[in-house]
Amino acid sequence: MDEVILRFLWIYTWFVLIATIGLGLYGIAVKPNMLKKIISLTILGDTANVFMIYVGYRAVYPIKPPVLWTMNPSKEVLENFASQITDPVPPALVITAIVINMAITILITFLAIQAYRLYGTLDSRKISKLRG
Amino acid sequence: MVDPVHHLIGLTPPITVALAFALPLLSLIVKSRRFAEVYGVSATAIAAILTAIAFYYVYLVKSPVVYTFGAWPPPVGIVYEVDKFNGLLGLVVGVVFLLVAVYSIEYLKHRSGIEWYYTLLIGMEAGMLGVLYTGDVFNLFVMLEVTSVTAYGLVAFYRSRKESIEAALKYAIVGSVATTIYFIALAIIYGSYATLNMAQIAFKTMSKVDYFFYLIGGDRLWITYTPMIAVGGAAALALALWAFSVKAAIFPNHFWLPDAHPAAPSPISAILSGLLVKVGVYAIARFLYTLFHAAQPEVLVDSALKYVVEATLYALIVLGALSALIAGILMVAQSDIKRLIAYSTIMHIGYIAMGLGLATKLGLEAAIYHTINHAVAKALLFLAAGAFIHVVGTRNIDELSGVGRLMPITTLTFIIAAFSLVGLPPFNGFVSKYLLYMAFIEKGWAPLTAIIVISSSFALIAYVKIIYGVWLKAPVKELKGIKDPSPIITIPLLILAFACVFLGIASPYILDKVITPSVVDLAYNPLNYVSEALKILTQALGG
Repeated sequence: MDEVILRFLWIYTWFVLIATIGLGLYGIAVKPNMLKKIISLTILGDTANVFMIYVGYRAVYPIKPPVLWTMNPSKEVLENFASQITDPVPPALVITAIVINMAITILITFLAIQAYRLYGTLDSRKISKLRG
Repeated sequence: MVDPVHHLIGLTPPITVALAFALPLLSLIVKSRRFAEVYGVSATAIAAILTAIAFYYVYLVKSPVVYTFGAWPPPVGIVYEVDKFNGLLGLVVGVVFLLVAVYSIEYLKHRSGIEWYYTLLIGMEAGMLGVLYTGDVFNLFVMLEVTSVTAYGLVAFYRSRKESIEAALKYAIVGSVATTIYFIALAIIYGSYATLNMAQIAFKTMSKVDYFFYLIGGDRLWITYTPMIAVGGAAALALALWAFSVKAAIFPNHFWLPDAHPAAPSPISAILSGLLVKVGVYAIARFLYTLFHAAQPEVLVDSALKYVVEATLYALIVLGALSALIAGILMVAQSDIKRLIAYSTIMHIGYIAMGLGLATKLGLEAAIYHTINHAVAKALLFLAAGAFIHVVGTRNIDELSGVGRLMPITTLTFIIAAFSLVGLPPFNGFVSKYLLYMAFIEKGWAPLTAIIVISSSFALIAYVKIIYGVWLKAPVKELKGIKDPSPIITIPLLILAFACVFLGIASPYILDKVITPSVVDLAYNPLNYVSEALKILTQALGG
């Protein structure tokens, strides 16, 4: 029974992730307000990060953190270790991506503030109309 | 013992990053405009020398060069792998950046914030060299973001101009969607191939066994092939190429370019049009030809992946043809000189995509040679147009009427660049377009050459309109005191013009000695690319 619930949750979260990616793309493409576009962009970026974390996760118990407690492990210890841990590489990638997303969000927010100063609006339809 | 030259080659992007971030700190101490200018030129000169060393080394000593950071061997650590293809593009980047850094001194002499300008410029060069030299798909993502962030910042350099801010905003949102999609593609790649190393992915698409994994000691699990891996590979390829097609501005993802490129200062437009879109082209070529072996699909281990790769190649040809035609038509209708040149970039990216989509040796030669020729000629065209704008103070083609006679050097270089891009002999654009015609005829798709002819004739109309106006038309306003700008601007123009002529006249030699080996390294020698990484791994394991 646990197995079934776990499998259902696993598939359900994948669906949710893909739907959220779609939502982020929709917001960026359709919402006219720059701030909403930026929020959709962060939603997209964060979903991509969770997606990456899921690639490294395992849904089969036992699940252990990727920390090896012995200094000179034997081959059996290593194999046992490798068959139980979550993959440490995706979190490392995600940390990098979070930092990059933060930098880009700050830059885009600055650009939006500057656009508001110049145009007096954040509506992307009006911004492209004003330039002529 | 690692050859010391390897350190120089592998450390080129990190050194450039360090140079970029040292500038704001140093300019806090030395509050002089002259210092920032000298620093910017020297930093790009150092990078140009390093790329020249890399170029020399991979062509004459050994290719590819694998540099391991912290001596971590390939599948574990990040490696930089420079072969003849990215070594060549790296040299082009280094040289054009140096010329642009020199040109910027004069072009931006009335602007404040020059130290920030040079910081972003050197940072963008570091990112581009990183994208080109890296042998790791995640490092490619990071470096692509470095390049993109600096590019967004530089497009918005005129931050009190409405159009710059609007263009930068649009460019930044579209660009970061593209890089996020690439990040999702990376998740799929890592989930399917369990690696981020390009050499290992290239090996795993060819073989049912994972020799890298075997060497590390995974003796039980080294047969890793399942059909699901190929499905993941196909999905990742599609997503990654979509993301790169935004960076490369291939139709239908070209819409940000005609706003973003003209809004930047002219030297930055030259870099964005000449080099930044080429980074997208490079990534497309590397993914298709080195990672997924599009030139020899028979080596792919999975037959389903073979169909996906071939479909991608057809898509590249169709989208390239559409880019060329649409941009050609829109080019004629422009009244802003920089916007016109930006549309021409989309057109030429279309040609390059068509060459890449052919997947024949001649087609790849045409694509790579056109990449270089377009980088040089388009940089020259933007810099020459920038010289007009700098002196006359307008971007409207009608208002530039008659200034050509007063600015002979600028006009001459502008004409050379325009004729080279249209494809008139003896300039370089002629040679690569001729190769592209030959490649189409060789493949038996001769009717497609009509697309190149038609779009080139649109370009000819557009350029002749500018040249006629600038050279022959009566001036619309007072042209007092208009003359060629100072040598700081004209010398980079003349060097690039000379390069246009030289790349055209010396093309048989360059094709034979430079372009063909780079095509072989890119597409026809995958085992060479992989075995160099394997060799490093074996050495690191004490074998």
